[in-house]
Amino acid sequence: MLLELKDIRKSYGAGENRVEVLRGISLAVERGEFCVLLGPSGSGKSTLLNIIGGIDTADSGEIAIHDSAASAGEKSVSSAHGRSAARLASMTDRQLTRYRREHLGYVFQMYNLIPNLTVRENIEVGAFLSRHPLDVTEILHTLGLYEHRDKFPNQLSGGQQQRTSIGRAVVKNPDILLCDEPTGALDYNTSREILRLIERVNREYRTTIIMVTHNEAIGAMADTIIRLRDGMIRDRIENTARIPADRLEW
Amino acid sequence: MVKSCCTNTEETWQSYIEMKMEMKIEKTARKRNPLKHRYLRSLRSEFGKYLVIFLLLTFTIGLISGFLVADGSMIIAYRESFEKYNIEDGNFRTDEEISRTNRRDIEAYRVTLSSRSYSIRLYDNFYVEKRMEDGNTLRLFQFRDEINRLCLMDGSFPEKQGDLVLDRMFAENNGIRIGDSIRFGRYDFTVTGLVAFPDYSALFQDNSDAMFDALRFGVAAVGKEDFARFHADELTYCYSWKYVPAEYAEEEKILSDRIMEDIADEIYLEDFLPRYLNQAIQFTGEDMGGDRAMMLILLYIVIVIIAFVFVITMNDTIAREAAVIGTLRASGFTRSELVRHYMALPLIVTLAAALAGNILGYTYFKDVCAGMYYGSYSLPTYVTVWNAEAFVLTTIVPFCIMLVTTFLTLRSRLSLSPLQFLRKDLRPQRDGRKETGRRTAGLCLSPRIPFPVRFRLRIFFQNIGNYAILFIGILFANLLLLFGMALPAVLDRYQASMRDNMLCEYQYFLNIPAYKKDRDYEFDKILTSTFLRLSSMTSEKSAEAFTSYTLRIPEGEALRVENITVYGIKKDSSYIDAPIARGETWISAAYADKCRIHTGDTIRLKEPFEDKTYTFTVDGIYDYMGGLCMFMRTEDLCSTFGLFDDYTSGYFSDQPITDISRDMIATVVDYDDLVKISRQLDISMGGMMIVVDIFAVVLFMILLYLLSRIVIEKNAHAISMTKILGCTDREIAGFYMLTTTIATLLMLAVTIPADNAIMHTIFQYYLAARMTGWITYDIPRGIFLKMFLLGAATYLAVAILELRKIRAIPMTDALKDVM
Repeated sequence: MLLELKDIRKSYGAGENRVEVLRGISLAVERGEFCVLLGPSGSGKSTLLNIIGGIDTADSGEIAIHDSAASAGEKSVSSAHGRSAARLASMTDRQLTRYRREHLGYVFQMYNLIPNLTVRENIEVGAFLSRHPLDVTEILHTLGLYEHRDKFPNQLSGGQQQRTSIGRAVVKNPDILLCDEPTGALDYNTSREILRLIERVNREYRTTIIMVTHNEAIGAMADTIIRLRDGMIRDRIENTARIPADRLEW
Repeated sequence: MVKSCCTNTEETWQSYIEMKMEMKIEKTARKRNPLKHRYLRSLRSEFGKYLVIFLLLTFTIGLISGFLVADGSMIIAYRESFEKYNIEDGNFRTDEEISRTNRRDIEAYRVTLSSRSYSIRLYDNFYVEKRMEDGNTLRLFQFRDEINRLCLMDGSFPEKQGDLVLDRMFAENNGIRIGDSIRFGRYDFTVTGLVAFPDYSALFQDNSDAMFDALRFGVAAVGKEDFARFHADELTYCYSWKYVPAEYAEEEKILSDRIMEDIADEIYLEDFLPRYLNQAIQFTGEDMGGDRAMMLILLYIVIVIIAFVFVITMNDTIAREAAVIGTLRASGFTRSELVRHYMALPLIVTLAAALAGNILGYTYFKDVCAGMYYGSYSLPTYVTVWNAEAFVLTTIVPFCIMLVTTFLTLRSRLSLSPLQFLRKDLRPQRDGRKETGRRTAGLCLSPRIPFPVRFRLRIFFQNIGNYAILFIGILFANLLLLFGMALPAVLDRYQASMRDNMLCEYQYFLNIPAYKKDRDYEFDKILTSTFLRLSSMTSEKSAEAFTSYTLRIPEGEALRVENITVYGIKKDSSYIDAPIARGETWISAAYADKCRIHTGDTIRLKEPFEDKTYTFTVDGIYDYMGGLCMFMRTEDLCSTFGLFDDYTSGYFSDQPITDISRDMIATVVDYDDLVKISRQLDISMGGMMIVVDIFAVVLFMILLYLLSRIVIEKNAHAISMTKILGCTDREIAGFYMLTTTIATLLMLAVTIPADNAIMHTIFQYYLAARMTGWITYDIPRGIFLKMFLLGAATYLAVAILELRKIRAIPMTDALKDVM
């Protein structure tokens, strides 16, 4: 097991305005697994992803990353599996940054590329952060961006920008790739193209993928589908018959 | 629990590692931070902004660096001149040549301080002073080869009879060149060289003068034979002295006071002037030191303003790039890495400007600044000295100010969580890492306020930080502008008011010693005094006799030790239009203003060369700005100071007095003398005022350009969107530019009176602490209007540039969000 969440709770506001976004989420994700978090707007899926990514904090509960603490130098405790585990709640800001730097890749709905860096340089930003980055040229070829490597973001289409943003996350060679609505701003064909890439990253690099989406159809390409509503897990499906991304229809 | 696609976790882990090992690892990528590629591109995309900042910093640092180098080098030359040219430790004047016995006795005196014994060695430093045909006064010395040796600036020293060397400053101001002829008294001389007199680096004719006068007063030297041609009654018997031993650790004042007491016991002193009180020697050094402080203040104000401009620029950049920063932080970039990244460009620009400024300073501005000093002072030659302190003050300190300011700003701004950046919620965190994720409502504006007004108010509040910096910038720029425009106006007004405010057209001070009744040889003195008084009688009808006496403000009673002329006037004087009764003491308005004295106050004054003090109660203030003086009835003056009852010091007269021998006249004070201070300030600083004005306008333009540009850049997306919605460029300018226009005009209106108050305070303090005499700070109101119009015109020029920028914002900006 790579990731383990126990009874995660999160709320915003105070008093009458208090809104409970996550109500006791528990789940585990195996290494190399493709996990999709499905749910309508306000169900808490992005908040959950942010907590896993260490850019938001839970009010209570435990979140542990196994097999990674020793290399990251984080505070670690012995887990039930006998390996060391990092508990996010006990990490300082610096440790969280290091955790994100060495173990996570992020893909957002908005691509958030650096406007005055070229495609190649944007991907190199990810490589710079990693101790064991993948080859940037290889990634450019993999993502079909090699011909556009010297272009700036404002010279790219939305799909090309999102591919660049995936490249920036993947080149780090992360343990977990966190994707927050990566196709939310894209058309059908471009979305399928992006999903194919993510699927390929999962397959070829054995990168664990946790993807947030409200698109039900995307769940079919995942190993695990977790449905959230009102901050709770309503359904968990182990998908033994994954459908390749290029056969997805919606 | 979710199952893994692999059945055995250990196997999965093993295969995972093996796969990774096979991958080509790009190790070199780790070494180079790709964010560095942004520096040049950011510089290029915001070239205009960085260029004006660079130019402003370069110009300021260059000017100050050049000034400090010139100032430092010249101060070194000035200080070294004390030893190099053997400058006197003081001088005194007597009414006749002192006898050998007196001289021997004076040199034999011993003053013991802290178990060290001091004596003095005397040197003749006689001179002849004459008013020349062109109205200027020249003081002629015998060529000196022992004390106060001359520094030859051009030409040659006197070699034969008829040769004369002239002070360079006086020669330049009067267009006299080497080879020209000068008639001095009965003799003609040829100027063979231009020199600097180390004891006249500031050409003060009289130590009590408010200001030196390098235009109307000069010093010259001729050979021994030429000097011997002048009659004994033409000479002024001035004796310079040096202490023996030359190194005196004691306080100069105590030593000179003791020496003075001893000399005064031996002979009658007309004047006694230790070096530390001699303005002709000290003023230059004090002025150079004072200018240095002023220039450094100017530098640091500009640096702080630029630092704030960078702060605003960085805040704007962070707001614009919030999502990118959030992504980078979420990807694992540390806060320190991002702080360093965003600090780099401002610091590179500052460093480049500091280096360019130093190069300019050493190559160009140094000569400009040295020229300004040579245009005011009669300084010896100097050698440029590498000034490490100047480098630290103009390069290291500004760089550190920039470093600290940008670091603290970025450290604070980038302390937000990655999530806040991703959500573009840039308010400070309230509780550690936790944040609510809910925005509080903005400023509530009543719907009854018309929409365009509300819109503009929103723009104003959105940019309130920018406007605060703009306010400080305009306040400072206007202060400089006011300084540049007001000083000439104040001097003009002073000169004009002097014409109407003079006691009389001519004040004749006679060569009659103020003999006191309590001295020995009273009978002799009565005879001499009567003889001199009879010799100086005049038949000029407009002449009115007065008596005068000189007192001094004791140390610690005012910011500056100054002489006060006490006038004794007759009852119903034609020239002093004040009802001064017996027993009353009035003071001039200049004295009252400078020392903040009011009617009814008690003032204390002392004898210049003795410890004896006098106390007076001020009964009235007489509207006279021409000098620091006191008025009382003649009878009161004579009885207060123990003078003979018929003692007469001089005449007030509206017509020239022609029937008194010139030998009997010590000084004539006319309009030219009274406006000496303003004339010299005009000569010394007139050229600088134009530079200050230009600098102020440039600073003003740059700040307006930078800050209004930031307002527009910050709203580029919204402007683009309003264009899509159908707003014309004019309407958009109405929303975005009008806010800045109104704010700028309001700031101009507010800062001008505020600057006037600041300038008034600075001006008064400067005159009170640094200068003898007084000038009223009186500015014509038209200057304020000119300043306002100049500010508005400057803004108009910037607004036109910004209008073009608004027009250039494409509509696609709103449609294509590449961030």
